[in-house]
Amino acid sequence: MRAWLPWAAAALGLVLLALGPTYVLYDAEQRTLGSVFMFVVLAQGWNLIGGFAGYPSFGNVVFFGLGGYTTAVLMVKTGASFFVTVPAAAAVGLGFAVLMGIPILRLRGHYFAIATLGVAEGMREGVINLPGLTGGNKGTTIPAVGEKATASYPGNTGFYFYFLILAVIAMLVVWGVARSRFGYALRAISQDEDAAAAAGINTTRAKIAAFALAGLLTSVAGAIYAYQQVTIYPDRLFSVDITVLMVVMAVLGGAGTVIGPMIGAVSLQYLSEWLRDNLTDYHTFVFGAIIVAAVLILPMGVVNFALDAWKRRRIALFQAVRAYRL
Amino acid sequence: MTQFLQATVYGLLEGGLLALVAIGFSLVWGVMNIVNLAHGAFVVVGAYIAWKLNEAAGLDPYLGMLAAAAGLFAAGYVVQRCLINLVVNAPIWMTLLLTFGLNLLIVNGLILAFTADFRAIHTGWASDSLAFGEVRVPYGRLAGFALATAVTVGLVLFMARTRIGLAIRSTGMDRAAARLMGMNVRHVYAFTFGLAAALAGTAGAMLGTINTFSPASAAGYTLQSFVIAVLGGLGNMWGALAGGVLLGLVQSWGGQYLSGTLVNAIAFGVLVLVLIVRPSGLIGRPYYEARAEA
Amino acid sequence: MRSALGIALVTLAMAAFAVAGCGKKSGGGGEQSSTEGGKLKIGAALSLTGSLAKEGALTKQGYQLCQEKVNKAGGVKVGDKKLKLAITYSDDKSEPDTAARLIDKFNDDGVKLVLGPYGSPSTEAAAAAIERNGQVMLDSSGADDNIFSKGYKNTFAVLSPATDYVAVIVKAIMDGAEPKPKTVAVLSADDGFSQTAAKGGVAEVKKQGLRIVAQESFPEHTTDVSSALTKIRSKKPDLVLGSVHIEEGIAIVKQSKELGVKPAGGFGETVAPPTPDFQKALGDSADGVVGSTQWTPQVKGKDAVFGSAADYAKDFESRFGAKAEYHSAEAAAACLGLVLGLEKAGAADPKKVRDAVAGLDEQSFFGPIKFNERGQNVTKPMSAIQVQNGEVVTVYPKDQRQQKLQWPAK
Repeated sequence: MRAWLPWAAAALGLVLLALGPTYVLYDAEQRTLGSVFMFVVLAQGWNLIGGFAGYPSFGNVVFFGLGGYTTAVLMVKTGASFFVTVPAAAAVGLGFAVLMGIPILRLRGHYFAIATLGVAEGMREGVINLPGLTGGNKGTTIPAVGEKATASYPGNTGFYFYFLILAVIAMLVVWGVARSRFGYALRAISQDEDAAAAAGINTTRAKIAAFALAGLLTSVAGAIYAYQQVTIYPDRLFSVDITVLMVVMAVLGGAGTVIGPMIGAVSLQYLSEWLRDNLTDYHTFVFGAIIVAAVLILPMGVVNFALDAWKRRRIALFQAVRAYRL
Repeated sequence: MTQFLQATVYGLLEGGLLALVAIGFSLVWGVMNIVNLAHGAFVVVGAYIAWKLNEAAGLDPYLGMLAAAAGLFAAGYVVQRCLINLVVNAPIWMTLLLTFGLNLLIVNGLILAFTADFRAIHTGWASDSLAFGEVRVPYGRLAGFALATAVTVGLVLFMARTRIGLAIRSTGMDRAAARLMGMNVRHVYAFTFGLAAALAGTAGAMLGTINTFSPASAAGYTLQSFVIAVLGGLGNMWGALAGGVLLGLVQSWGGQYLSGTLVNAIAFGVLVLVLIVRPSGLIGRPYYEARAEA
Repeated sequence: MRSALGIALVTLAMAAFAVAGCGKKSGGGGEQSSTEGGKLKIGAALSLTGSLAKEGALTKQGYQLCQEKVNKAGGVKVGDKKLKLAITYSDDKSEPDTAARLIDKFNDDGVKLVLGPYGSPSTEAAAAAIERNGQVMLDSSGADDNIFSKGYKNTFAVLSPATDYVAVIVKAIMDGAEPKPKTVAVLSADDGFSQTAAKGGVAEVKKQGLRIVAQESFPEHTTDVSSALTKIRSKKPDLVLGSVHIEEGIAIVKQSKELGVKPAGGFGETVAPPTPDFQKALGDSADGVVGSTQWTPQVKGKDAVFGSAADYAKDFESRFGAKAEYHSAEAAAACLGLVLGLEKAGAADPKKVRDAVAGLDEQSFFGPIKFNERGQNVTKPMSAIQVQNGEVVTVYPKDQRQQKLQWPAK
């Protein structure tokens, strides 16, 4: 197969997406796709630390919230333009990831997961308890809509593109990491950290770098999200549901692969929308059932499952169960 | 001074209740290395069972507690045997996701069955309190604390003296060796999970007489169980009791002397601090430090 | 190479999906397209699941009753046509950003007239979207004044603003209590609505010449307010005011009994006391608690759709089998406001409807409906109730009361 063919197809797809809003997409669809792109970013961010490095963080939403609140606070208190706040949010995300990573990345397995969850919840409470700065539980409003607006509001189309650009960046970052020595180091760490260290990899640096990268991507996503929502609340911006969604998307898509999280994000968002529209009363219930079923049938993720099926020319549905059961 | 004493008493009693909630969670995590994100949901189910029996049949909540324990034991056994055992050896996010999905199912099932209304089980005396001067000791919470202590003692004895208890402990130490010794590990795991669920249900029924509850309460109980399990050392029964009491005291003092809105932040701060400084537990140690996995 | 192929496939699939998705939209964008085949389409994003599911269900009942009554009378008179109401419900899962997204979805479907979601956070998020899209929203439950301080022009709240919620309790007690309380402790949850209500209450307390001995806050949704209660116990207030929601309201009364906090007069709380949950959870302890409510069946005023407040109560009870309380009443009133605006405007055009609603000055089963320039209904007074012997009884305003205020409460 010609090497440039997939790339051309990808480029074509991107062009179509870019033209979408002008010619075919309605407002709410742009908004939905925008949130799909946002989850692609979040899932890929998690993928770096959870998929490649094998450290399942359950608190990535802390970067999301910090990025969002950085943007909101800067825009409200100093009237800064959104584009000034983006690098600030990125810096906050990066810095906090390093700060948090140094003590917490020493933990492994469940302990690491719980520690990250604790940090995320703790930061949410911290934000709630600084009402002078963040508005606390009252929320804070970016002055971008209505008569008293001081900033402009990009509209659904604007946010569609912001999220699309960020998603493309995230995909490129993960693609780049996957083929680099850095990615190799991460994969070694996830398979056997002690052996990796013995082989000469500076595991601490690699882990923190992965975490920092995840933090950076996630906090910029949070910044854009806050701007889009106009009024933000700590409960929403630090919500555990967002973390779980990004983990489910990355894992069910295929943790540790490049396209897995993207597939996971796209399919789960659409699935969630479809369920909400068609099964209004039961949709969360069904979503839970689907998660349970998916973990049993496809725990390695769609991408790995597909690759495996392709290689061995067979479909082994409950293979994971056979491998992992007691 | 009375404020401090009152806060201390209340914190102690609250801590006992929290310990009752967390003890099953700690057991499962310690023995099977499974973090059960649906634990809080089990607690709420226990509360609903006791409430429904009380409402429909006028059953005394303490008998309802037994019914909740029995029902949840059976349910927990089945869930572990048929569902969670399927992914026990998998990377941890699989069990986390599985129990998360389970949690969604149970909580939303409760909403569909009972609506999101707030419920409480009435006992005539639970809100009355003993008075020592200005300091009040509410009866309901006192009963909860007594139950927590009794349960802890009972569990410790159970683990030390009965065959199945010893089986649980040894399986937790080294699963492969336990199998080689001829133990039916699947059954032991299922029994442990069922036991933990029964404990959660009992706690829920007790809590139902003291607090109001709704399906949304589940998440809070799970989160608090995390903190207590880590504080006390995984699988350590006395540690869970001590951890619960410590958490209750810290929250109560914090709420008294700092702003009332910081209570949750304190809990998480404690959790993260303990994990960074002494992940094996502040008050206790995991019941078996070096566990070999097969 | 593999991943490039994968990325290619998924991007193309997404693009295809997106294109395919728009085919199913009905009309879209046109201002008159919300009317089709004799039906007037109205959107309602509600919390049918999530933490506010209970209140969302009550709100839905109010909207449903309104639709049924209007359609039974032949529909809304818009210009020279009579159109039947067709309200589409969507679940916002009690999440504000989902509510905003659903508003955009309604806009895509050409639905420009919207009935509000439940709660101030969701209403605030929805109001921002409504403003951007040029839709019109009748707000049934977002009372926080913050929503209306941003210069939004297209959202109108039929309910009294948050600042009244505690203030009316104070007024009721000072009006009917003998002996009058002298000292007050104010407890508040930390969310925006509760804090605004508490501020309004504190202002009224000071105006009435009472002394505030303590003011404490606690996290929203908590069931443990023991720290706050322990702190105020030694100050021995005559009256304890709670600016709270259902859970915290129940907790205050329950734990006060445990901790021996016995205000000489009694308790006054927002939101919780009129609800059946409150009485069921507390049993006898609920007696004597004063509460504020947006509506009681004793409210004066009538309108062409529902009749008087008593008529509304009767209709609600026969339709849904439960006693009418204020959450559904405010929803029905929002729907009524929209109907009145449509009739006045004579067209379904959102701009005309908006101007018509802004200029409404009507009486209704809910009380007066008239909006100030920010969109708030400041002419409608709130009522105060008290739980007496397990029954919710109106005690204020004086000319609408069923019973005298019991004071001291026990």
